[in-house]
Amino acid sequence: MSTLDMPARNGFSLLKRAALALALLTPATAWAAESTAVTSPRVVATLLSSRDAVAPGERFHLALAHKITAGWHTYWRNPGDSGEPTKIDWQLPEGATAGPIQWPAPKAIAFEPLVNFGFDGTVLLPVEISVPAEAKPGERFAITAKATWLVCEKICIPEEGVLSLDLPIAAEPVIDSAAQARIARTLAGLPQEAPFRAKLTANGPDKMTLAIPELPAGISELRYFPLSDTLIEHAAAQQVEGGTLTLARSSAFRIAEPSVEGVITYSQGGTKRALSLSADVAPDLLAQASAPPAPPPVVTLPTLPAPPAEDLTIWVALAFAFAGGLILNLMPCVLPVLFIKALGFAQAAQASRSEVRVHGLLFLAGVVGTFMVLAGLAIALGAGWGFQLQSPPLVILLAVLMSLIGFNLLGAFEIGGKVQGLGDGLASRGGPVGAFMTGALAVVVATPCTAPFMGAAMGYALTQPPAAALSIFLALALGFALPVVALSFAPGLQRLLPKPGPWMVVLKQGFAFPMFATAIWLVWVATMQTGANGALAALIAILVAGFAVWLLGVTRRRGAALRVVAAGLAALFVTTTAAFVIESAVPPKQAPASAGASDVWSPERVAELQAQGKPVFVNFTAAWCITCLANERVALSRQDVKDAFAALGVTYLKADWTNRNAAIAAALAEHGRAGVPLYLVYPGSKGAQAEVLPQLLTVDIIVRAAERAAGREVQTARNP
Amino acid sequence: MKAVTRQTFIAGLAVTAFSLASGAALAQGPAKPGSPAPAFSIVDVDGRTQKLSDYAGKTVILEWTNHDCPYVRKHYNSATMQTLQKDMAKEGIVWLSVISSPAGEQGHVDAAKAKELTKSRDAAPATILLDPKSVMARAYGAQTTPHMYIIDPKGTLAYAGAIDDKPSASASSLAGARSYVRQAVAEMKAGKPVSEPATKAYGCAVKYAPVS
Repeated sequence: MSTLDMPARNGFSLLKRAALALALLTPATAWAAESTAVTSPRVVATLLSSRDAVAPGERFHLALAHKITAGWHTYWRNPGDSGEPTKIDWQLPEGATAGPIQWPAPKAIAFEPLVNFGFDGTVLLPVEISVPAEAKPGERFAITAKATWLVCEKICIPEEGVLSLDLPIAAEPVIDSAAQARIARTLAGLPQEAPFRAKLTANGPDKMTLAIPELPAGISELRYFPLSDTLIEHAAAQQVEGGTLTLARSSAFRIAEPSVEGVITYSQGGTKRALSLSADVAPDLLAQASAPPAPPPVVTLPTLPAPPAEDLTIWVALAFAFAGGLILNLMPCVLPVLFIKALGFAQAAQASRSEVRVHGLLFLAGVVGTFMVLAGLAIALGAGWGFQLQSPPLVILLAVLMSLIGFNLLGAFEIGGKVQGLGDGLASRGGPVGAFMTGALAVVVATPCTAPFMGAAMGYALTQPPAAALSIFLALALGFALPVVALSFAPGLQRLLPKPGPWMVVLKQGFAFPMFATAIWLVWVATMQTGANGALAALIAILVAGFAVWLLGVTRRRGAALRVVAAGLAALFVTTTAAFVIESAVPPKQAPASAGASDVWSPERVAELQAQGKPVFVNFTAAWCITCLANERVALSRQDVKDAFAALGVTYLKADWTNRNAAIAAALAEHGRAGVPLYLVYPGSKGAQAEVLPQLLTVDIIVRAAERAAGREVQTARNP
Repeated sequence: MKAVTRQTFIAGLAVTAFSLASGAALAQGPAKPGSPAPAFSIVDVDGRTQKLSDYAGKTVILEWTNHDCPYVRKHYNSATMQTLQKDMAKEGIVWLSVISSPAGEQGHVDAAKAKELTKSRDAAPATILLDPKSVMARAYGAQTTPHMYIIDPKGTLAYAGAIDDKPSASASSLAGARSYVRQAVAEMKAGKPVSEPATKAYGCAVKYAPVS
């Protein structure tokens, strides 16, 4: 259920509603210097200005006006036994300042056996605004007050309102006489500074005496309201004898300063009066009040074994990394490479078992070595996992590699023994170097993929000391290499493989298509990073690489001179193209303009929105991050989420890590992550910490988190 | 509520008689840390009578609650309260939630509804005490929901007051809030005196039943 659409209480008759509706209409039309009202069945809130136009260098009063439905009340600065004071956050033009709320004297509102200090009926909370001397006549003076207040009858409803005024600046102030008169009346009624000081002394262990000198004679209904909520028992009767009050000490009795501030109210000849009163605290009372009251006897709790830590431990991270590595074998870009390697074993097994074992170990060395190099770079550069995909030339190189593997699988060319160093080993003919390079190649083609479990392990690894981080990468490498190594060592497993035959050719060709799909995706990533030129560079690179390989292929069995010419040509083409790629595939200086409703993230933007009281959802993502794209598709882009964000006033910001960005890397590190995705939900209050959402999102997770950040619930199709 | 009516007079008499009879700290103002925690004997959601003396030798936490109060909702919607309950259970502490709203007031629930709330909110109190006549609330001087009390194994009140130091209904106030309950329990566990045994509780007013 929502507290915001609480039905009006029983006594709220149609007539009263009609009267309220009229009251609502009136201010908007009667006074220019009053904001549009924010209304609930309990409170009509407006911002009232004593000026229709402000002058440079002047000070004037605004007031937050609350018209409170009968039976309900809002709270004073010390709310009494329960409740919460009204607060206002101001947004003012540069150089302008707002003073504190000038609190009227409260009423004691009893809910036996408790008492609240607050206001009912209509209350104005004045605030002094100063206009900077540099304000220019003719320009506007825009004021926004974000006010929050708790309104209670017996039940309590937290409410808020954003109230705005946009006043002209003129050489001379233009006074709004009606508003000025209302605010002036409130100011005149504020508690005046008493021309004397009172004295607060101890009176037994539970009570205090407040001695007020020079009170006029013949007053009645004297009551003391301390500003601190830990001084007196608010509901206890205050015994009055002349100018002294006997007060019960608060159950949370605490005095921080030798002087306590408060307000006294009394009635004099039928008129309510209020004074603001400072009281000197007797030293013995102060000593009692600053020491914790009567420390209870020390009792040791029976200790139980500590509960297991809920965070990822190194062992869990290692297990996750190993499992992630194992699953990585099934990724579409990796599986073909490994499957064909496995078939190679099956063929070679007929030749020599020991050679197969050596190849298995070399493959392992290739995998581990490559992982360690990548991990070392990621750690040393503090760059995070996936960093290699932030470099457009590297992305394009991967796209070329994927395409070549695809062409190779299709049989468009064959890689001879002499160029095996390029990453051969797809078929059986790879020698020792080939086996090592297959391992390296498998890792390289695996890098764009993140298997389940891997994200958590990687994130943990990169927040650990290098030794722990490297061991996690090692676990990942071992998991990744396990199937192939196991195969090379277990003849029993090798026998399970189908007998080599013509069907292998068909399968090999079929496997080309996942490789092409990966290449297409990488070209798209490069396009996202650099624009259309990046796409062109990538496609030209693929073309040239294909041409160079073909050239080498067709001249392979020809004369030496022809081969040298072909190799020279191929090298020329490749180097020229590489230079072209490096030159043209450059990320744009400016981040590309964001599409749609999503705004661009920056730490400053988050702080600014929070200061305005707006909750913020930040999506740290990248075009090369498949998990990110999946989350965007299944959760973030759903209408339910958009509706909830709109209803809760949540601002959606996107931090795109497709290209290198130090600020984003820093924000990721701050939240213990090495890479994207990262989802943060900031509550709408200055400096409040963000909640970190899981790496796999659902509509429900997002909406609930947004509700927590906004501090209220929203109705969605899923949560009627 | 202006003049002393016959009804309130009789009610007053009844209260006096009751406090005399029970000899407890009833109607003597709020329970104070350092003094014996007021005894209680009250029915829980399973119909069992729960007495403070049943838990001699154990630390007991009392949580005054009202599931519709925005301050309570802040702590439950964010799972802060449930986490605290579970963590305290792991420490071997008995957590008793107390509902003192009388029939017709916000927060009043019957046993079935109270259990359903525990289930749906994934809460983990040892049990929930139903105090629809607000007798226990008066004995402790409970002011707000939430209002927290910690009673040490000897039956002395070790802490009374707020759940944390951020008196706000806004979820954003949870960030960086200091839990007085965790602090007190940690100090008790370390054999230290509770450094802040009494704080000002914040929240919605406890809805008291009229004295009858």
